[in-house]
Amino acid sequence: MSLGGARFTGFTWRPLGRRNPVVAGLDLVIEPGERVLLVGPSGAGKSTLLYGLAGALGTTIAGELSGTAEVEGRLGLLLQNPADAIVAERMGRDVAFGPENAGMSRAEIWSRVDEALASVGLTYGRDHFSAALSGGEQQRLALAGVLAMRPDVLLLDEPTSMLDSDTSASVRDAILSAAEGRTLLIVEHRIEPWLDHVDRVVVLSADGSIVSDGTVQAFLDGPPPAGVWMPGMATPTPLDLPADLVAPDVDALSIAATDVSVELVTRTLRGMQRTQALTGLTAAITPGRTTAFTGPSGAGKSTALAVLGGLLKPNGGTVTPELRRWRSPRLAGAVGWVPQNPEHGFLTSTVGDEVRHSARKLGREVDVDRVLEVFGLGRFATSNPYRLSGGEQRRLALASALAHRPGVVLLDEPTVGQDPSTWAAVVGWITAARSTDATVALSTHDADLPIDAEHRMRDGVVA
Amino acid sequence: MRTLVLRANPLVQLSVGLFSLLGSFWIRSLPVALIALGAYVLVGLLLLPGWRYPLVCLGFTAIAAVTIVYSTWRLGGRDTEEAITAGLRIVVLAGPGSVMAGYVDPSRLADYLAQTLHLPARLIAAFAGALQKFTGFGLAWQQLERVRRVRGFGPSRNPLANGGYAANMSFALLVQALRGASATSIAMDARGFATAHERTWAEPAPWTRLDRWAVVVAAVLGCAPIIARLAGA
Repeated sequence: MSLGGARFTGFTWRPLGRRNPVVAGLDLVIEPGERVLLVGPSGAGKSTLLYGLAGALGTTIAGELSGTAEVEGRLGLLLQNPADAIVAERMGRDVAFGPENAGMSRAEIWSRVDEALASVGLTYGRDHFSAALSGGEQQRLALAGVLAMRPDVLLLDEPTSMLDSDTSASVRDAILSAAEGRTLLIVEHRIEPWLDHVDRVVVLSADGSIVSDGTVQAFLDGPPPAGVWMPGMATPTPLDLPADLVAPDVDALSIAATDVSVELVTRTLRGMQRTQALTGLTAAITPGRTTAFTGPSGAGKSTALAVLGGLLKPNGGTVTPELRRWRSPRLAGAVGWVPQNPEHGFLTSTVGDEVRHSARKLGREVDVDRVLEVFGLGRFATSNPYRLSGGEQRRLALASALAHRPGVVLLDEPTVGQDPSTWAAVVGWITAARSTDATVALSTHDADLPIDAEHRMRDGVVA
Repeated sequence: MRTLVLRANPLVQLSVGLFSLLGSFWIRSLPVALIALGAYVLVGLLLLPGWRYPLVCLGFTAIAAVTIVYSTWRLGGRDTEEAITAGLRIVVLAGPGSVMAGYVDPSRLADYLAQTLHLPARLIAAFAGALQKFTGFGLAWQQLERVRRVRGFGPSRNPLANGGYAANMSFALLVQALRGASATSIAMDARGFATAHERTWAEPAPWTRLDRWAVVVAAVLGCAPIIARLAGA
């Protein structure tokens, strides 16, 4: 195999705790310098293939591996959860990690660090705390760490999923420029912007087998595969969900924030980083309406949701009612919140228990089987939440936070990592909650989400 | 002046703990113990950037010291002075090191361990990667806390139930840490760590005049029990 090539031969992977393999007997050859887009429905095993090439399966990740996944040359992998990729306390040293491993001179290291940070649009400076970045900013930091290495093979798992369209476009340009003459394997759900820039599209089916593999033109001319956001396709119709599954069990609250300011402090004994996350936010969310907070990463969208839900104390201004002072069970009865990182939301060891957990605490009835079916998780009822794919985990986090039918529904990037059919399920829940008079607020970069009001934010201020 | 501790290089910071450990072996009497501890407290008051964190460290060290005091008193002929001396010896042995460890920057420590002490580069890089995870634990704890509160499993007014809550949160953080460690090791290997045979370092590891003076201060503090004994205390 030549430098920059990659090859799967009879590749089969069954994660620990899963009965069936995610990928079975897969054969695939990627030639040096090829740009390949890997697509397929949520849970099809796309990320698994990247982990296979990185040599993580059967070593760092437990499970049963057979066949081979080989790659020739220096590898750069971007993980789906960017927080996991952080290896240093400050941005500069984090990006420098790859060049240091490659044994570069100090001048070369810093030249690459500055170039990579600039290419992904992170302008805070080398000494900014990595932990003080927002989810989207951490995604760009992780990407900068990969680009600075100038690897022979770039493996990118949803590199722009948490970015707004403008930032996505510039990050995509940075990736394409860095990938010039190198091998590129990208996993993405929203594929349209990539199609003009790749040589080949490989489509996986839900059972992890290859259903089509060819040029972009052949992909576009062929029958549309299931679970793929095809270019120009109409926005999927949100699933029509029965009201009894979603309708609030309590009267929904109206929540108003007036002139709210929040300063986030990342503190260590060696110093602290202050980030003005919100400045003078005035916004109201009301029953029967979906309010969206939009804007670039780091704009304060997640912070706005946390303040409205009584999960974060503002430094100034008022939030009415003051949910922050409510005790936990009372708050849970009124508010459901879906965090950006789904793994932070899991409290039990099986998917089924996770969905019934809050309802049991509050004495509410939940039809767990129907909820899991809605989100395409029915076959995982007895599985451990940590064994699910990224997209499946996000849907489970949403089901767990909302199955007990709170009156206020707060969602942080709810549609990231979803294919058209699972998107329809997630958005179906959101629209059903709205139409049954729940108060819905979300942070999103998804322009297809049906909303009633939008607060476009930038640098902590509603623009 | 209170930033001097932060500006000193990490090996100097850790040397404070090493000298205090060695010096503690010369603590055999209560006056010597009080002089040694007093010296550390005085220098701490003058040079440490804050008082809360050192007090927390002192609190944890005090737990160990109290058990030593009690066992020495019970098993050592119920000699109160000897028991207190043994307890203070533990405070001098462990206290300064535990305080200084908190001020160590993982990346700078790696720079010095690799370039000054010439320890194996890959081992040091992995060690620094693990240490920096502590910065993210605060944020992870915050997120776990929010989720539990909004799902009805937050802390309550019942202190017994809160013990269970704290244990549950700690276990959840442990799970997050272990899962994060696996993912980070994949990310590190995928950024050339697995094949890094000739690793370089982005920052140099210089020894400044401040570092040299700080080592002298650390050594003098460590010698306080010896000086006190020679002076007849």
